[in-house]
This record gives sequence, C-alpha cells and structure tokens, in this order.
Amino acid sequence: MTGRGFLRDLAIAVALLVVLLVLPTVVPHPAMRDFVIYVIAYGLLAMSLNLLVGFTGLVSFGHAAYFASGAYIFGLLMQSGKFGIPLAMLIAIGGTALLALVIGAICVRLKEIYFAFLTLAFQMFIHSIILTWVSLTGGDQGLMGGIPRPPFLGIDLNNGMSLYVFCSVVFVVCMVIMRQVVQSPFGYTLRMIRDNPHRANFLGVNVVRMKLAIFVIAGTMASVGGIVMALFVSGAYPEFGFWTTSGEAIFMIMLGGTQLFIGPFIGAILLQTLNHYVTIYTEHHGLVLGIVILVFVLGLRRGLADFVYLWFQDRKTKQIEKEAGR
Amino acid sequence: MASKNSGVTRRKILKGAASAAAVGAFATTITGFPHIAGAQAKVIRIGMPTILSGRVAILGTSSRAAVQLAVQEFNAAGGVNGRTVELIDRDSKGRPDEAAKVTRDLINNDGCEIIIDGEASSGSFAVHEVIRDLSVLCLHTCSESSTLTADPKLHVKTAFRSARQGIHDAVAGGKYASAISKAKGLKKWMTCSPDYAYGRDNTAEFIEYAKVFDPNIEVVDQVWPKLFQPDYTENITKILQVRPQAMYSALWGGDLVAFIEQSNLYSLFNNITFFSGGLGDPPVLTAIKNLPAGLNTVYRYNRFFPNKPGNQAFAEGYNKIANQEPTNWSWQNRLACHFIFEALKRTNGKTDGAALAAEVKGMELDSPFAVESKITMRADDHTIIGYPAAWGVTTSKFPYVQDFTAPAWSEILQLESEWKKRKGYA
Repeated sequence: MTGRGFLRDLAIAVALLVVLLVLPTVVPHPAMRDFVIYVIAYGLLAMSLNLLVGFTGLVSFGHAAYFASGAYIFGLLMQSGKFGIPLAMLIAIGGTALLALVIGAICVRLKEIYFAFLTLAFQMFIHSIILTWVSLTGGDQGLMGGIPRPPFLGIDLNNGMSLYVFCSVVFVVCMVIMRQVVQSPFGYTLRMIRDNPHRANFLGVNVVRMKLAIFVIAGTMASVGGIVMALFVSGAYPEFGFWTTSGEAIFMIMLGGTQLFIGPFIGAILLQTLNHYVTIYTEHHGLVLGIVILVFVLGLRRGLADFVYLWFQDRKTKQIEKEAGR
Repeated sequence: MASKNSGVTRRKILKGAASAAAVGAFATTITGFPHIAGAQAKVIRIGMPTILSGRVAILGTSSRAAVQLAVQEFNAAGGVNGRTVELIDRDSKGRPDEAAKVTRDLINNDGCEIIIDGEASSGSFAVHEVIRDLSVLCLHTCSESSTLTADPKLHVKTAFRSARQGIHDAVAGGKYASAISKAKGLKKWMTCSPDYAYGRDNTAEFIEYAKVFDPNIEVVDQVWPKLFQPDYTENITKILQVRPQAMYSALWGGDLVAFIEQSNLYSLFNNITFFSGGLGDPPVLTAIKNLPAGLNTVYRYNRFFPNKPGNQAFAEGYNKIANQEPTNWSWQNRLACHFIFEALKRTNGKTDGAALAAEVKGMELDSPFAVESKITMRADDHTIIGYPAAWGVTTSKFPYVQDFTAPAWSEILQLESEWKKRKGYA
C-alpha cells in the first residue's frame, strides 16, 4: 500500500471519528448512543468475518465463538477485580487470538463446506463449554452481577458519553487496522488465494499459513466487538457464542456486500435499523427480515454497498465511453 | 474509499452536506421525537421487555395480556392523581443483549418511567444490570432463578421480583413428595429433566429437599433429554427398564406435553407416581389430549386456588383478552402491576425510582393470589413470599388440577434461611 493511500485512509478514519463524536451533539439522545454502540459491536463482528468470507473466500459459520470469547474473557477478568480495563482488553484479545490460532490451525487445512462445518462444530463446542462450566461462566444465565468499569487514565466508562466515545475510538482504530490488512500485500495475497489457491501455491505462497494468519486476525477483531458488547450490556451471555449470532453476521454481509471494505458495516446498520423498527411494530420480525433479505438476494443479487458501488462504476464507464465516442 | 481524485469540488461539498444531513435525519429517525418525561407528563409509561416470538412466546404473550388487563382496570378507575398509565412492550426474542438494548431504549427513547421485566433466565439478569445503571423501578415477573434476588452481590436498590422462586418451590415440592413417598413406601426414584442448567438445578434441588424430609428416598437413575427434543421414546424405554416407583420431571411447556403424550402410549403412569415441576400451567394441561389423572404437579395457576373471588374475576377478565386461562406468568405480572399501582398511589403519582422503590420495599398487599391474606415484598432481598407454593393432583375435568396442598410458609422460610447460609447469601 502506498503512503498516499494510507494517509487518505487515515483522513477518512479521522473524518468518520469526527462524525461519530459530533453525532451526540446533533442528536443529544442516549438512545442514539446506545444504538451506535450496538451497531459498532455487531459491525466489528461482520467486518472481521468479511476478512474471511469476502477477501479470502473462507465461509466461516463459527465466527461468533470469538465474539463470545472476547466478551467472556474480558468480563471474567473485570469481575475478578484484579485488572484495569485496558489490560483486561489486551488479555481478552490475546486470549482470543490464541484460541483462533488453535482452532484455525485445524480448520484452514479444509476447504469450502468442510471448513464451514468444522468452524461451526468448534463454535458449538465452545458454546457447550459456556453452558456447562456453570461455576465459571454462569451457564445459561451468563456472567451475573455486572461488569465493573473502574476509571482508567481519567476515563470513566460508567458515564454514558465516555463509553460512547471510547467505543467509537476503538471501532475506528479497528477499522484502520483491518483496512491496512486488506490493502497490504498480504491482503492482496488473500484475494489471490480466494480467486485461485492453486495458482497462489504455484507462485510460492504458503496458502495454509496465509489463511491461518487472517483467521487469527479476524478472530481477534471479532473479540473486540465482543468486548464492546460486554461493556454495553454489562455482562456476557451464551447467546453471544450461539450459531445464530454467526448467522446474523453473515446476514449483515449479505445485506451490505462483500466487495467494499465498508460493506458489512453498512449491512450491520441496515440489519439493526430494520430490527429496531420491525420489532416495534410487529412480532413477526423474522418474516419481515426474511423478505428483505430475499429482495436483496433475488432483486439486487448483491449487498447494498456493492450494488451502489457497481452502479456508480457502471455510470462512470458509460460516461467515459460516451466522451470517447464524442 | 475507492476514489482517486483528491480535489475538493463544489459537487463534493454538496455531496458531503447531503451525507451529513442524511446522517442527522437517520439519527433523528432512530431516536424518534424527544419525549417529555418526568412528573409533569400526564401518562405514566411502563416499559415491558419480554419474549413475544419463538418457542417460548407464550411467556411474553400471557405476561403482556395480564398487564394490559391491569392497566385497563387501573385507568378505568381514574389512575392516580389524574395520571393514567400506558404499557409499551418490546420483543427481546429471548436474547439477553437485545433485552438490555430494548430496556435502555424503553427508558431513554420511549420515556418509560417504570419497567416490568417479562424476561426469562439470562434476559432478566441483563435487564437487572440496565436497572443498576438507570435506576428506575423494575419488577422482574418471570425469572424463577433464586440467585437473582438471593445473592446480595447482585442487589439493585430499585429492582424487585414478583415471581415464584426456585428455592421456595424446591422446599414445598420436597415436603409434598416426601409425604406421599412415606405413605406409599416409594423408595426407588428416577428423574427425567431437560439437559440444561435450569433442568439440572431444579431437579437437584427437588431431590435434595425430598431426601431432607424422607431420607429413604433413593435416586436409582436419571435421564436427561435434550431441550426441545421431539421424541422421548429412548427415555421412556429406559424408565420402563429401570421400573422406578416414583419419578420427578422438570420438563416444561411443549416438551412436557410431548413427553406425557408419548408416555401414555406405553402406559408409563400406571405404575409410577409422577411429580412434575411444570405441568400445572393451564395451557400445558389443555394441550395434552389425554391427560392422565393422578399426576402430581406444582401449582402454576388455577382459578380456584386460592379460592377467592378476586382470583376468579382475574381469570374471567384475562380470558376475555387472551381467550385462554391465565398462565403462571400471568398472575405474576398481575401481581407486579398491583405493587406498582399501590406504590404510585402512595407517592401520589411521583415516578422517581428511589421513591417508588422505598414504597415497594416491604409492601404487604391484599392479593387474590395470597395463600392466606397477604403477599409481602420482602424488604431484605426484594422478593415475594406468601404466594401459592403448592402442589396438586391432575383430574380429567376442568380446571384439571385439584386437591392443592401448600406447606406453611414458616417452614419454607426456615429451610430457605438455612439454604442462604449454605450458599453464603446470609
């Protein structure tokens, strides 16, 4: 990636952060902050999954395992009372990276449906551990008693606005990291593996090692989403690691699109907005969401961000052709 | 992030302005119009996060109908100090994170000043933590988990439980079962409960207290069908092989219906005295096509127990709204409304969480659901006592359970106190 490209991405990230920080002054409503934090948590889950699905061609059905792992490790460390928030976050991220390394080392050797099912199997295994290790995890009632948020460096996350700012900063930092991964030579190697793994192997790329690296990075980023969610709900629950949570992340990718880096985040906004409104007006939200997804799949045939991007590209091409013809 | 043109043109500035406007419009749409909360708002909004979809939707729908009925009656009677109440319910889909988000949304966005938490299990713990943050009055109406209120570490000043509690049921069940086991000489027991935390904990507590009252009881085998398992043939065959004299089951809802229907094919209940922790709910009883007579069940709800006009009037009123008999969750929600309305009357309509909580704490209510005359919201752990911790026997005719036996609350409280000490809660 060129230095100019990096600076441009950095400028966009700063602009996004400014928008997020200004938003509560434009709409000074706690519900807005809550909604954004919720979308940030699930957005990180979806964007990290897209590193596997969209950029590497690895369809993981078990990505929520790392979301849950981040939430539980962070929650347990904070409940122990022996750790500050930054240290607990680092340990939770590191612990999840280790977990992803172990699981990934087994999974990435498999292809397509076998890879998908094995990731799902590992997720259900972790979900079962959460349910059955009641003395540690609280079983199906989750981590009870709340997650303490002791102040650090003068930041008190018990204050709603501070929590919002903190989550926004964490989100933008994670986005920058993922963006750099995607735009690096490593990221382009992943695309090559996605498009033609045999050719990549023939060119001397260690495909398994590359897949394992991105598997660990994606799991690590998902764990940050889990930490944000744990901070928001002040708890961790087995549902975080259930297959339906992975399914939601896949829905977000389908709604937003896989080709644009920002696509899954747009999908997260779309799904959570739909969920927010549909739940208010009807209990048949599953039906409504199903119809919306059908419209996207059958109507647009791609995610919204991809559709808009390709529409602009097409328009631009036609304009160039028109100008060339003239 | 795909553009290569770095020049700032008028078109780009316009696009940027349009994007900012869109973000602002979106933000306003999400949050809706700013509400006018506080003591001056005429309508007092009560928020209710609950489960209205999925396999346990009956928990939410039967809870909501009970609250709707209570709100109608309260408003028809003139409300409090000229103020009426309004119920705003939201579906959490049984997800704890959604329950937390929805609860925050009800308080922050919809202006709800009181929360009736119609969540089960983990959802109620998630709502509990929101209440710790936002300090409005909250009544948990469906969670039976003893830990929620018994563990002092989880104590929240404005949160209460108006629902039965696992430990109370365990003591009452043990007492009831031991009386039958002693009379009939039932020594060889077996259990058949769903394989998850509630099923295992509930079964362990029932057996523990049955043995306290009758040490001759011996559990010879236990089977653990999966939650929401459709076919129980394997478990029933095992039970027939072991041939216990008595059996306890913590199966509930559709699982229990399926188990009893399938057990009928094998005449399982002809030679086994059956004790159920979930059969007493009227929708479960009516869903079973051939309900065997003589099965023992914990009280969930019955319009004739406690046999009081207020209870029967509630069942009639509820039937008009929901077209079915009330459930266990229905009476618990009705009771929560009574606590809330009485507190509102005492504060003269003031909705401050601390003020309402001070009234609910230790409140004694004349209730049609009280075994004697009153149900008390115990001051030290914010949970109710004096409700029907009873057991009865099934019959083939409406209301399908009769001969309720309720142990004295003094005995339940004594054993609960010892349990709390053992757990380090007291």
